[in-house]
Amino acid sequence: MSYLSISNVTKQFGDTVVVDNFNLEIGKGEFVSFLGPSGCGKTTTLRMVAGFENPTSGKILLDGADITDKAPNQRNVGMIFQSYALFPNMTVAQNIGFGLKVRKEADAVVKQRVSEMISLINLEAHANKYPYQLSGGQQQRVSLARALAIRPQVLLLDEPLSALDAKIRVSLRSEIRSIQKSLGITAIFVTHDQEEALSISDRIVVMNAGEMEQVGTPFEIYNFPKTRFVANFVGSLNTADAEVVDTAKGLVSVDGVQFTSAEGTKGRNKGDKVKVAIRPERFSFATQQHKDNVVDAIIENITFLGSVVRIQIKIGNTSFNMDTFNNPFLELPKIGSKQQVTCSKEAVLVLDE
Amino acid sequence: MAQTTVPLKKTPAPTNWKTWLGVAPFFLFAILFLFLPSMRLITASFTSPEGNFTLDNIRQLFTVPLIVNAYKLSIQISAITALGGGILGFLLAYAVTVGGLPKSLRPILMTFSGVASNFAGVPLAFAFVATLGRQGFITHVLRDYLGVDLYSAGFNLYSFAGLSLVYMYFQFPLMVLIMAPALDGLKREWREAAENLGATSTQYWLRVALPVLLPSILGAMILLFGNAFGAYATAYALTGGRIGIVTIQIGAQIRGDVLYNPGLGYAMAVGMVVIMAISLAGYSWLQAKTERWLR
Amino acid sequence: MKFLNRLRKFPFLAWLWFLLGALYFVLPLLATFEFSLSWDPAVPFKAYQRAFEDVRFWRSFIASNVFAVITIIACIILVVPTAYWIRLRLPQARRIVEFITLMPFVVPAIILVFGLIRVYSTPFTIPFTNIVFMQALTQFKAGTNILIVAGYMVLAMPYMYRSVDTGMRTVDILTLTEAAQSLGASWFVIITRVILPNIRSALLSGALLTFAIVVGEVILASFLGVNAFGPYLFLLGQHRAYEPAALSFVSFLLTWIAMGMIQLVTGGQNQTAGGH
Repeated sequence: MSYLSISNVTKQFGDTVVVDNFNLEIGKGEFVSFLGPSGCGKTTTLRMVAGFENPTSGKILLDGADITDKAPNQRNVGMIFQSYALFPNMTVAQNIGFGLKVRKEADAVVKQRVSEMISLINLEAHANKYPYQLSGGQQQRVSLARALAIRPQVLLLDEPLSALDAKIRVSLRSEIRSIQKSLGITAIFVTHDQEEALSISDRIVVMNAGEMEQVGTPFEIYNFPKTRFVANFVGSLNTADAEVVDTAKGLVSVDGVQFTSAEGTKGRNKGDKVKVAIRPERFSFATQQHKDNVVDAIIENITFLGSVVRIQIKIGNTSFNMDTFNNPFLELPKIGSKQQVTCSKEAVLVLDE
Repeated sequence: MAQTTVPLKKTPAPTNWKTWLGVAPFFLFAILFLFLPSMRLITASFTSPEGNFTLDNIRQLFTVPLIVNAYKLSIQISAITALGGGILGFLLAYAVTVGGLPKSLRPILMTFSGVASNFAGVPLAFAFVATLGRQGFITHVLRDYLGVDLYSAGFNLYSFAGLSLVYMYFQFPLMVLIMAPALDGLKREWREAAENLGATSTQYWLRVALPVLLPSILGAMILLFGNAFGAYATAYALTGGRIGIVTIQIGAQIRGDVLYNPGLGYAMAVGMVVIMAISLAGYSWLQAKTERWLR
Repeated sequence: MKFLNRLRKFPFLAWLWFLLGALYFVLPLLATFEFSLSWDPAVPFKAYQRAFEDVRFWRSFIASNVFAVITIIACIILVVPTAYWIRLRLPQARRIVEFITLMPFVVPAIILVFGLIRVYSTPFTIPFTNIVFMQALTQFKAGTNILIVAGYMVLAMPYMYRSVDTGMRTVDILTLTEAAQSLGASWFVIITRVILPNIRSALLSGALLTFAIVVGEVILASFLGVNAFGPYLFLLGQHRAYEPAALSFVSFLLTWIAMGMIQLVTGGQNQTAGGH
């Protein structure tokens, strides 16, 4: 049963279509991410849910009620901004209590809820500080508490972590997720960072140029990208030009080197030009046990990336990246040497050109 | 010219006196033409006609009716035009920044404000004579087309009220110049966050925007106060000294010893400097407060 | 519905304030212009002709322009090296120098001229003796000219310093200097080829503002007895009616041109220069 329903929503600014026929049903308590490059329409969609933009056409229903044309201050939807947007003239406690104050809640209620929220975000020691006295991470937590204080039906997060440094980004994102889970609140999270989206979401909507490319769980999005855009945008990916060789066996050829694809080449004809996509971590050095997709490769370069070692290999005339986990006893081949590498049939994705 | 490159350090090591030589000309200039003249006025205001130290002059600042009145008038006209100019200027700055007027109007208004805030003195006085004087343009239009005779209704350009109107001409543009950037400092997200939390537009203005702007507004008005307080030429050109504000009295004192006590003239100047210094300090303090908030 | 929405969002109040402000701006100018034309309906620009025919107008106007140019040059020579040196080597002097540049707000022109006259109307003597080695500056023409330019420099200092300092900050003059030094440039090359071109628009806007201040200035000139445009206009207003209106309008146009050019060279970045 969907709680928030966005149906056939289109947004145009002048002649430019920013969001094109967006359809999504979000269940109660679900955490959905909108993922895409800047300008893909993810933020505009979020702002339409918040009421800061009005859809050119389409409907937005929240818990059965049509909120499409409701003013933002009538919606009871909490929003968190990339720039925190804390009111500089108010202390942490006053910021958190703002939404309740303007709703004319009794002082006792405000006080009680504010202290609840402050302990939720672990900022008890900072309740009477001003935003400029807090770090970015602390400010964003206050902003989370402020949005949650009004007990919103939906929580909207517009790239809330983008302005923070890497370490805080990771810790705050798990904090956001655990608070969201414990309150059972429905959330939409906008981000351009695929790792963030993959780690935090129940479902991800990948968007590009105003269109929804794919909707699915992080697992589906990463492992079974439906379009070339999704495959490219989420995770790193080797793509190469290929030609369909045998539709029955799912055989494609890259520069004469043949790969078998588990998903097959249904709906295509022999000789069709296609793209083959293989994630770097799906490659490995071949051993005796490997039967499928064992191919010759020349080691071109080896780059140490920390937890991962990236090996650049050449298959036929095409270069691929192959990632392997680092460990102190890892034996790496010599650059220029010839090795056999392999990948499973499931790892070979066949995409339209 | 030294060809050797001197190593630069971001964190200056202990500076020797030679480094200070680089700013010596500036300090020398400031001492000769700013401090020496100011100090002379200050020491003279504490000197009796016989050349001894005295607090008499300062005491008389608060007792001689002519001087007390001058200060009263100056403070009144400065306060009124700072408030009036401040309000009008704020509303105008609001209109072109967040008020929703077409973007193209903004540079026009800003240039106009730059011109008008620098357009004081003699030409301004003449312009207002041509506008609101007995034969002025508006006076004529009102009398001939609307049947309103400003002057028989009690208005007089050469009065306190008239002078205030003239001062407003350079006061409110100054407010526009200061407030427009401050209003730009209001982040769109604050408004959205407020709306999102259920606030109406009025609630947003009363609880967020105006409190955030308050130090800037007050600071700017203090600056306007000082701006009017120090003005001389406009008042002199318009009224020829009939309205005895402090600057006019000091001008008279420079021309000749009208108070029959030179020390009193110096004391009046020092009193003025003190008031200006207090307003500048107030402005700086409020400015620092805003900057801290909006960092 | 859409129309009503738009109507609801139309900024009535904003337009009202704007129109009110615009009227306040424009009416006095319009009135002045109208008045300046009304002398002789047969010869519309008679007031302007008469005003420009007067040789005293040209004398005082040219004098003011010369003062403005000298003030601008002297101010640049004084301010640019100081601001540069402070950014480069002497950041601890920043506060005090900024404080000094704010002083002219505390010491308005009328007080400044009062003090200048009191200090420089007595002859210079060798310390502890009564031997005069220089006449009082107010006693001879060159001396008065020095005093008035110094006074104008004091008045222009806040704007010039602020403009130059902001210019140096926006182009990050310290890094530019270090880059030039690392490429082997001499100080002369650094200043003429790196620093000055990069703060050109800041210099220009400071200069134009100084120009606007000096040409219209009346207090220093009249109390120091210098025959400049400000005092001339004032005296003209005492016994003529139409020419002063014409010249007021002209001086408004001059201010307008100066400010418009500032807007152009700074791209509207430096509008608050006049506000401090």
